[in-house]
Amino acid sequence: MPGKRNRARWRPCLILCAGLLALTLFFGWGVLGWPCSPTQPSGASLEAPSAAHWLGTDDLGIDIYAQLSQGFFASMSLGLACGVLTALIGGGLGMLAGYKGGGVQAAVDFAVNVFLAVPQLPVLIVLGAFWGQDRRLVIGLIAAFSWAPVAKQTAAKTRSAAHRTYVRAARSWGAGSWYIFKNHLAADVLPVVLVGALAVVGKAILQESALAYLGLSDPTAKSWGLMINRASRFAGIYFTDYWKWWLAAPVAALMLTILFTRLLARWLEQQLLEGDV
Amino acid sequence: MPRIRILSAVLALVLPVSLAAGCSAASYEAPAYGADSAHPDGWVEALRLEGGTDWGAPNPFQCQSRGPGTAKMELVYASLLEKDENGDIGWLAESWTMEGNDYTFTLREGAAFQDGQPLTADDVAFTIDYYNAHPPVSNPLAAGTEACIVDHYTVVDERTITLTVKNPDGDTLSNLGSFEIIPRHVWKSVEDPYTYTGEGWLTGSGAWACTAYDGPTGSYEFTAVEDFCAGTPGAGRIQFVPVSDALLAFENGEIDITGVPADLLSQYQADETLGFVEKANDMGYKLLINFEQCPEFLDIALRRAVYAALDRQAVVDKVFRGAGSVGSAGYVPRTSLYYSPDCVEYDYDPDAARAVLADKNLSVTLLAADSGSDVSIAELIKIDLEAAGVAVTVESYDSATRDSMVNAGDYQFALVGNGGWGNNPPTYLRTIFSDISKNQGGNPHSMGPIGYENAQITELAEAQKLETDFEARKAIFQELQVLISQEIPLIVIANQSSYSMYRKDVYDGWMKTYAYQQAEQNRLSYMLR
Repeated sequence: MPGKRNRARWRPCLILCAGLLALTLFFGWGVLGWPCSPTQPSGASLEAPSAAHWLGTDDLGIDIYAQLSQGFFASMSLGLACGVLTALIGGGLGMLAGYKGGGVQAAVDFAVNVFLAVPQLPVLIVLGAFWGQDRRLVIGLIAAFSWAPVAKQTAAKTRSAAHRTYVRAARSWGAGSWYIFKNHLAADVLPVVLVGALAVVGKAILQESALAYLGLSDPTAKSWGLMINRASRFAGIYFTDYWKWWLAAPVAALMLTILFTRLLARWLEQQLLEGDV
Repeated sequence: MPRIRILSAVLALVLPVSLAAGCSAASYEAPAYGADSAHPDGWVEALRLEGGTDWGAPNPFQCQSRGPGTAKMELVYASLLEKDENGDIGWLAESWTMEGNDYTFTLREGAAFQDGQPLTADDVAFTIDYYNAHPPVSNPLAAGTEACIVDHYTVVDERTITLTVKNPDGDTLSNLGSFEIIPRHVWKSVEDPYTYTGEGWLTGSGAWACTAYDGPTGSYEFTAVEDFCAGTPGAGRIQFVPVSDALLAFENGEIDITGVPADLLSQYQADETLGFVEKANDMGYKLLINFEQCPEFLDIALRRAVYAALDRQAVVDKVFRGAGSVGSAGYVPRTSLYYSPDCVEYDYDPDAARAVLADKNLSVTLLAADSGSDVSIAELIKIDLEAAGVAVTVESYDSATRDSMVNAGDYQFALVGNGGWGNNPPTYLRTIFSDISKNQGGNPHSMGPIGYENAQITELAEAQKLETDFEARKAIFQELQVLISQEIPLIVIANQSSYSMYRKDVYDGWMKTYAYQQAEQNRLSYMLR
């Protein structure tokens, strides 16, 4: 029964993709179809959830569903941008190191070890405080501290693939690097890069939220981390009902999004180890 | 790039290494002080308050300029006089006389520093000289400036000193009595008190010795000094402990006094075991315009339009949760004894604001602190000004960095919030609005408009200081407020009222002085009375 086994193997992926799609549609409606603004007050201060405000309003009377929706796309675009940058930097350097070996490999290995050894969050906090509250800077900083693991895995995979007999044979027959990469290495190496980059998406969303929570982002941006920051700093929030919509909503959105992306990356990694992707 | 931010970043990198080496100036533990003798009624072994913020080392040169910073320093160091509910009272000085320009103070018998050395008139004289060479953070003498109120002094004997002032006025006695006395034997050989952390750097003259200070965690411990000459401390120790949520910590008995959110006030007031200290309209927020960077706003029509653009009642309703009032354009809160009802009122009128501002193509950066209320108010200001056609970018930093940037003039618009607006008399009108006295000393009460001058306001702000008759002085203050409301050197946003809540059965000594409502920052709150 190979067909049934195959379906069972793909089921987690389908569920996770369906979950991400559902979140995208839910928050997509919040951006495109929802009448309330994510930046302008549209209700009274701290209104409980209602038909007019599905997830209530914050202290300034701004609709929380609208803010969460804008935050979803802001977080996802930031996560994807970090993932792409990580794939380019980590994948590129990893392939270069694994394929060329020698001094290039030593240099990349050294850089990888340095970036793996540096504690990320404290350095991100210091650099964020030092250089200001620019979103592009946050993307650059997160990518700068995310490429090293991807480069390490990519280099190992490239090294292993490059030493295969048929690759050595192609080299000895005078095949160029691009030809070898395209025809012999890409199928082995690119999935490693993609899985690594996907894992960075979830991590980047979490790190951006952490930086925003610590106040190292545009203070009026509608980021989930900042929403959690503002709500949790409201004096006595745990002694009122406000936390149920103002704080719980962004926490739940953040957890679900990270859970889906991390589990999807994990599933892909598993398939990769089993040689099915 | 502001210097303070560079410094902060460097410190953040260097501090962990320093701490690991055990040599950090931001961490201090002293030998034990304190009395174990029988304790009088009302005494408590330890009072715990919310910590978690580094307000600087508690000495006159290294504390932060804001209330919580200077208040901790004032626990450790004592001045000649203190303030109670009704007026100035003796502190290190047991008596004083005034004759013309001469103010003679007699120190209490047994006055001593915390290392046991006697505190004499020579120390008072040394303190004035030293402050003139190295102005302290809190500087009531205006030492080190041309405006220093002391012309010269005469040491009469070991316990008596006469301070001769340049021009006596209604505030002179209070100011002469408010500077903290430092030990000559410690500081005479210190060339840079702003970085000094050697022996005696926290040896004070006050009722409380600093026995632990850890800057990174914002933790402080003060221990009662045995045989303090001016009174008996009400607790063995005062501890400022870091907490994640002050109200939860209060509920759990981890701290003994905390602020009450407006939403929960009535609920807590039903509990008879709790006591409350009301601080009516004592916190205030103002919008500073740096006219050097935004010269367009020298046109008063634009400043009026900014008032019209701002829905300041929304700040009171949404951010203060109804506990407060829209600020008077004359600056002094409406509940003050000195408030003038003749001040110009500026109503929220977005259409009128848009008519003036929309076609000006204005764009400003608004500097704010990163605390919850400041960011919320900044966001409301941004929403309102953008509706009127002014593009606004909000930048937020921690309170100390924001203050440094404001003092350095590194801003276009700045939102500044601070306590002490309820001070009586409102002497801050001079230090904020007088072109002679503003922007000196780094305190929020001296943060005035940059690039704006007004001779009439300056004249009135300085004149009130020379008036000793209460009614006449009040009249000058009121005239000054009306003028401020007409000329709009800055935009007053709103005043916030707040309550502190404490357990009466734990400690019941919290008090407000005639001039300052922040009970947790008044050192008489920590004395048995």
